[in-house]
Amino acid sequence: MIIFRSLCTTLFLAFTLLIAGCASTNEQSLYDEIGGHDTLNTIYGVAINRIYSDPTIGHYFKGVPKRHLREQLVAQTCDLIGGPCEYDGKTMLESHKGLNIEERDFYILVEYVQGAMRDVGLTYQQENKILQKLAPIKTQTVYL
Amino acid sequence: MTRKILLVLSLLVSSVHAESGSRLIASGGITGFEGVAGGGLTPWAFIGGYASKEEVSYSANIQYLNLNDYALSTAGVSVGIFDRVELSVQRQKLDISSGLTSNVFALLTDGAITNANAATIEQDIFAAKIKVLGDGVFAQDSWLPQVSVGAQYKKNRDFNTSLLLPDGSAPLPNTGVPKLLGAADDSGIDVYVSATKLWLGIPHGFNLVTNLTARYTKANTFGLLGFGSATDDSAALEWEGSLALLISPTTAIGTEFRTQSNRLGGLAEENTAVDAFIAYFPNKSVSITAAYVDVGNLPLQEDSSGFYLTLNANF
Repeated sequence: MIIFRSLCTTLFLAFTLLIAGCASTNEQSLYDEIGGHDTLNTIYGVAINRIYSDPTIGHYFKGVPKRHLREQLVAQTCDLIGGPCEYDGKTMLESHKGLNIEERDFYILVEYVQGAMRDVGLTYQQENKILQKLAPIKTQTVYL
Repeated sequence: MTRKILLVLSLLVSSVHAESGSRLIASGGITGFEGVAGGGLTPWAFIGGYASKEEVSYSANIQYLNLNDYALSTAGVSVGIFDRVELSVQRQKLDISSGLTSNVFALLTDGAITNANAATIEQDIFAAKIKVLGDGVFAQDSWLPQVSVGAQYKKNRDFNTSLLLPDGSAPLPNTGVPKLLGAADDSGIDVYVSATKLWLGIPHGFNLVTNLTARYTKANTFGLLGFGSATDDSAALEWEGSLALLISPTTAIGTEFRTQSNRLGGLAEENTAVDAFIAYFPNKSVSITAAYVDVGNLPLQEDSSGFYLTLNANF
């Protein structure tokens, strides 16, 4: 099965090239590509409604006005994906200190944001690129 | 076999709504042919199942690899604890056709015996994996992979099981296939280190999993042909790698390799094993993986390759 073996080697090389190809820069920001502020605002509107009514994580947001959280998340994401925003809210570390948020809670929230991006019509690729920027927030929110 | 598959399918259907952990879908990989989570051929640093730091989750798997005169069926269960520890038990069963065992005797007796029964070699694998550092999924601001170390205690159950002739006689008493081919031991411990990373949004918005595993082992053909040999009883370092591309939220394609040492030589010469796979994760409770696997030489079968199918259930 020499053919199959060379096929696997080719696959390995192809993957490697794909990763290398990612260094190329796009002139349009991810923020503009997905439709800017309006799209982010819709995504977080959908996600926050679901998060607030979730039986496991909803309680963390008691007393936090939906509108305030939505504006904060939109501004922060905008900032992270190349939009014209400066996120000036409290730092993630500060706002989550003492809440003792579990890893499980964070994953549940991520799935709501993922689901909202999908429902709003973002492509799988756009969704992943945004998640890549949001993922490091885990260390700024969980078990503080 | 069919009945086993039906049983597993009914288990899967009834478990669709069960709690299976809150980690992101596909981030537990699949269960490999040795019962350890990762790719089909090599362990990953990810802990199997979807348990977060606060959760415990269970997995069950059934797998089948057709290699013409050989066929490997394997099944097992595992538990993922607090996204830190993975424990597993796996039973492997290698079926060897009567055509092939007949050829073994024909070779050994210069053609005096040309008819032997089919045979099986069974092996049990008890394995533990511990995550030592890193977050391979969420530390997207760093190049650091997640790193785990693991050990697999492998016990070949047919080291001394003689090959039988159709009349029930055993011309080579107390000599199983591994022993016949020159293996020294019926058990051994593999230890390994795996470094695994998920690259979110790379390449071009898709997600890629890269894994590299270094294994220190005495196993001949994964332990199915025993451990060590009369002339070489030392463990050797083997390299294993996986690349998996998530082309949709539920589908991954990829390829793997795994080097092997050639301790026994002769009929039992070993080559690097490779595979190409497609894995489907319709939800967190179930995954189905199909692959084409090429393990190279097996005794009296130089090109051993064929299709592989595995079903995973998470609880």
